[in-house]
Amino acid sequence: MALRELSSLEKYLGLKKPNKYSTQGDKKNNNGPPLVGLVTIACHLVKEAKRPELLGDTAENRAVVQQWLEFRVTKLDGCTKEDIKTILKDLNVYLQDKVYLAGNKFTLADSLVYFGIHPLLVDLAVQEKEQYLNVARWFDHIQHRPGVRHHLPPLVVLRNRIYTGRHH
Amino acid sequence: AAEEDQQAQSKKALKKQQKEAEKAAKKAEKQAKLVCCVFYFLSSQDFAKDRYGVSVMVQSQQKLDRVLVQVQHLTPEKADQVIWLRARVHTSRAKGKQCFLVLRQQQFNVQALIAVGDRASKQMVKFAAAITKESIVDVEAVVRKVEQKIESCSQQDVELHVERIFVISQAEPRLPLQLEDAVRPDGEGEEEGRATVNQDTKLDNRVIDLRTTTSQAIFRLQSGVCQLFRDTLTNKGFVEIQTPKIISAASEGGANVFTVSYFKTSAYLAQSPQLYKQMCICADFDKVFCVGPVFRAEDSNTHRHLTEFVGLDIEMAFNYHYHEVIDSITDTMVQIFKGLRDNFQTEIQTVNKQFPSEPFKFLEPTLRLEYTEAVAMLHEAGVEMGDEEDLSTPNEKLLGRLVKEKYDTDFYVLDKYPLAVRPFYTMPDPNNPKYSNSYDMFMRGEEILSGAQRIHDAQLLTERANHHQIDLEKIKSYIDSFRYGAPPHGGGGIGLERVCMLYLGLHNVRQTSMFPRDPKRLTP
Repeated sequence: MALRELSSLEKYLGLKKPNKYSTQGDKKNNNGPPLVGLVTIACHLVKEAKRPELLGDTAENRAVVQQWLEFRVTKLDGCTKEDIKTILKDLNVYLQDKVYLAGNKFTLADSLVYFGIHPLLVDLAVQEKEQYLNVARWFDHIQHRPGVRHHLPPLVVLRNRIYTGRHH
Repeated sequence: AAEEDQQAQSKKALKKQQKEAEKAAKKAEKQAKLVCCVFYFLSSQDFAKDRYGVSVMVQSQQKLDRVLVQVQHLTPEKADQVIWLRARVHTSRAKGKQCFLVLRQQQFNVQALIAVGDRASKQMVKFAAAITKESIVDVEAVVRKVEQKIESCSQQDVELHVERIFVISQAEPRLPLQLEDAVRPDGEGEEEGRATVNQDTKLDNRVIDLRTTTSQAIFRLQSGVCQLFRDTLTNKGFVEIQTPKIISAASEGGANVFTVSYFKTSAYLAQSPQLYKQMCICADFDKVFCVGPVFRAEDSNTHRHLTEFVGLDIEMAFNYHYHEVIDSITDTMVQIFKGLRDNFQTEIQTVNKQFPSEPFKFLEPTLRLEYTEAVAMLHEAGVEMGDEEDLSTPNEKLLGRLVKEKYDTDFYVLDKYPLAVRPFYTMPDPNNPKYSNSYDMFMRGEEILSGAQRIHDAQLLTERANHHQIDLEKIKSYIDSFRYGAPPHGGGGIGLERVCMLYLGLHNVRQTSMFPRDPKRLTP
């Protein structure tokens, strides 16, 4: 999973030569020690592609991006069925007044959280997706951003609210 | 030592509690006795003793020339008149020299006041306060206008000043459930710790539950559905028929029918009047309908399945296209919806108070979608399903939502079902043999009617029965009905309870069945 994500990320960043990763997910670095971990490697790839703005353009944004990258690997990866509801609920509240995770610009955080949240959303019923309206909006926006989706199938997100009434 | 001390203390506390409980019980008993005694003892020296009491049992001893006024007719026009009425004691509240009663008649209620004065004695007020809830009383009273509206009653502009009160039928002091608890909307009064009554308790004590304003409204509306159904169809030239419910063979295989022993052999309870409706068509009745019980032996415990329900069945011969049948049925449904909307607004509002829902919406003419269109809509919403797959319940509901969003209607017809998912007597579509001339109708995304053009050709019918591997011997008489000239015809069957449930936006079909029958309930 992580390997396919990294290769999707490479394509998005426009890196010509695909890197080779070992099964632990560490990258053989040509002129330095090997790098370990999804977030570490992803950040390195961003630097390699000379796209530092994807890690945040101000000190504050950089911190927020790091926070969400950490959220991705600690909260999303390996979360249980019971966790999903809380995660989506909290994320839904957070995204209420935001286009991207770190404010108004697309960052690496959006990309990696998108990859991580895809398996959570894929099983949701239409009604549940509508319940997490802001997550769905953000998700639909990210999945339609050119070049981000790559290895993942697109999910249908309805643009109309169909469960507005009180009748279930 | 401390532990022992504590134990001794808790023992003491327990004893104290016990004593207190005994005391309270004794007090209650004493009070109950006192009320009786006070009444019998003091009544002998009471100036108003002829104005109240427990009446002798009504055994039709006399024909009283007394007009009993209906509670709903108690309006300011009747102010200052002396009237008699019979009602139930809904609640009573005594306060010093006064006693307030709420008198209830069906879904209407009015406030009554008994105050010590030249008409009522102290004893009389005491007696009134001691009448148990739900007792039936005859009351003579003066109607008085009130300054401030009485919010808790249906008759808000008047109250009754009681002059005489007699108990006609006394209720036992302990009720299995409180009416106020049974009509409380979900979630209301939770912070005050007020009780709500769960469905099973309500159904176990259905007689009392049926007295609630909500139940009264539901079943008055249900009666309206039946009446509107009959009136509309009769106006269209339909004939009402009565069909037997004990039948010799199951019409569609035998999986979901009840078997009853019938002398030396066994019989089945009809799962639909299908056969008989069709036989009437073959017997030149042209357009028929039938209102009666239908039995399903499905062991499904869901919010919308009953083992016995009331079926409203329609069957009619048509000229050239089965859409004539669809139009006839949808028009009937629309007439019912209109009739309910125009004549049962009070009932709808009453139910809405306890179970809020949006008003029911429909289009004229009724929206008709083809199955393939519906599947396409579901695909668009991200549902994965095959073109000829049957609709699952969640998909049915989702489709209802999508249709509501797109067309703003709670009622629509889904036409041209895949042939494979319909019974053997369904006419195949002439243009595409994978589909059929069959249809379902939906209210708020749930199925209420299943119907189709039937095969009126004995040979094709035999073919289809064979295809479904049905024993031809068992349905011989059915197939034979079509051998002597049968007109093309179609029809459908509606579940009365479901229509009421979905029209009112309720969540359980047991709420709209007076004495529901399901796999787990056979009483009351």
